Amino acid sequence: MAQQGVEIQIENKGGFRVLRPTGDLDVYTVGSLRDVLGQMIEDQTPRVVVDLDAVPFMDSSGLGALMGGVRRLREAGGDLAISCTRDQHLKLFTITGFGEGVSIAPTVEEAAGGLR
Amino acid sequence: MKLSLRWKIVGGFGLLLALIGLLGWVTLSLFSSLRTVQRRVFDDAVPGLVTVDEIVRSYTAQSAAVRGFLIQSQDSLLEQYRVEVGTVHVAQRDAQRLFTSDPERALLRRLINAGTDFQALVEDRVVPLADEGRRALAFSVLGQRGTPLISEIEELGNNLRELQREVVVRSESDLRSQSGQARVILLVVTVGALVAGTALAVLLPRRLSSNIQTLVGAARAIGSGDLDQKIQIKSGDEIEELGARFTEMQSGLKRLHQLAAQDRELEIASSIQRNLLQRTLPRTPGLQLVPIQRQANLVGGDWYDVDVSGSEMTVAVGDSSGKGIGAALMATVVLSVLRAERGLGAGPTRIIQRANQALKEATDPDSFTTLVYATVDFRSGAATWLNMGHPSPFVLTSSPRDGRPRGFFLEGPRNRALGWFDDPGAGQTVMQLEPGDRLVFYTDGLLEAKSPEGEIFGEERLGQAMLRLASLDCADLSEALVRQVEDFAAGKLDDDLTILVIEYQGSPLGERVVEELTGERPWHSKE
Repeated sequence: MAQQGVEIQIENKGGFRVLRPTGDLDVYTVGSLRDVLGQMIEDQTPRVVVDLDAVPFMDSSGLGALMGGVRRLREAGGDLAISCTRDQHLKLFTITGFGEGVSIAPTVEEAAGGLR
Repeated sequence: MKLSLRWKIVGGFGLLLALIGLLGWVTLSLFSSLRTVQRRVFDDAVPGLVTVDEIVRSYTAQSAAVRGFLIQSQDSLLEQYRVEVGTVHVAQRDAQRLFTSDPERALLRRLINAGTDFQALVEDRVVPLADEGRRALAFSVLGQRGTPLISEIEELGNNLRELQREVVVRSESDLRSQSGQARVILLVVTVGALVAGTALAVLLPRRLSSNIQTLVGAARAIGSGDLDQKIQIKSGDEIEELGARFTEMQSGLKRLHQLAAQDRELEIASSIQRNLLQRTLPRTPGLQLVPIQRQANLVGGDWYDVDVSGSEMTVAVGDSSGKGIGAALMATVVLSVLRAERGLGAGPTRIIQRANQALKEATDPDSFTTLVYATVDFRSGAATWLNMGHPSPFVLTSSPRDGRPRGFFLEGPRNRALGWFDDPGAGQTVMQLEPGDRLVFYTDGLLEAKSPEGEIFGEERLGQAMLRLASLDCADLSEALVRQVEDFAAGKLDDDLTILVIEYQGSPLGERVVEELTGERPWHSKE
């Protein structure tokens, strides 16, 4: 149960930032995502699109971090949208109902279009 | 520079020994120079001077003796002359041994020649003339030819003396210069030896001691629990190595502490989770219920709850997100609300709303709980449930045509997970169970179990496994299913795994329930 990190690339797109985690988002790695999202609030860049295309696996901890991120970023005056084409993740959003509360789209640009 | 302690000490002592050796060598060579000078002065120059004096004196004495003999006609004076001749031969032999340089030898040769000429004059001319009684002539011959020879001898003697004096002066100068050099070398070597000795005796032990003190201090601090010691030793030897190992040891201890804390947390979480489980399940006629739960390594947030009231069995299967104590406590919150509200007679919708409210208020925004809250009437076989963001239950039935097993995930109205939305929804799924039908509730631990290759178990495998195991009774089916998932994950479960199988065995009163559902069944099959 070693603490691992997931590598997260951050890209500045002007009006928003794109976070691209690479690797599984689970209980072992989710701390990194939580830290980066916290950093976005501290940097006062709370409009964020998380691209999940390089995340092969996401469990309830990963989903929780994303949804917690949505709430925190909204409280900070921003928002979090999700760019994802992986069925497995999309299904998770559908099952839990979180897909209804967040902008989820196949591309970063489309997802960003749904940012509040 | 990397140099081991051993080589530092060996090198230090080696340098000291070399300096002491040099000191000895310089001293010895100084003594040797002194000895050379002494030899040149006392064994060479001084005896040379004495011998020259003796030769010159002897020839002067010979000349005087012959003159005396000519004046006084005493044979004893002639005899004295002959004694001096013997003396001068001995002195000249000594001189030939003592004078080794070319100029000395040339002067000595000329001196001996002059002496020989003088003696030949005396023996061949002066003494025969005296014997003939011609003393005046003999005196005149001696005066004319002998006196210049004696003068030449005296002059050559002076020259030889001068050479010996030069030797003495040169030796003295050599001695002075060598002793000056020796003094400088001795000074340098002594200072070097002192510096090396001081470094060895003071600096090396002090540095060693200071570094060891640093380590002792660090060890003491580590012993008292401070694992953030910064050990900076740059000695390039074993002590630096030891410092690096200390730093590694601190990380190791930190890791151990973390692991111990995590173990403790897991123990607490596991204990909370175990306490949530019902020790005795309510039994009811017409329904068989088998729950199985496997805890993951990190303890997830799985839970279930069963209650019977009147002809209804209430079954809730849930999964609170995250791991460890956080997940276990969240499960406690949900279960407490469920049980409390149910005790107050609240219906499923209200119970769910209350649980959502409690979770939203009590937990952090990263946490949520999914669950299925079902009621099954054991008289009629009517089942109703609310699916709150949870994986769809599986229905295992048999074909009315050939009796072969059929199964499907029952996708009813889907509501949202609890703890995040203000209104999670309250859509209900209703279905009529036939005798022998089984309703399987489970958590995502089954679907998301990962193989060592990173593949997930998924709905397809789960559905296929259920159909394959359909002939087994509820208990065996549950066990076999869990075993298959565990085998798939090679025994390593990252999430809790819960499965709860309910089999409707028909009305215990032997009567068919008349209440029929009309129209479309409110779910679609993914058979």
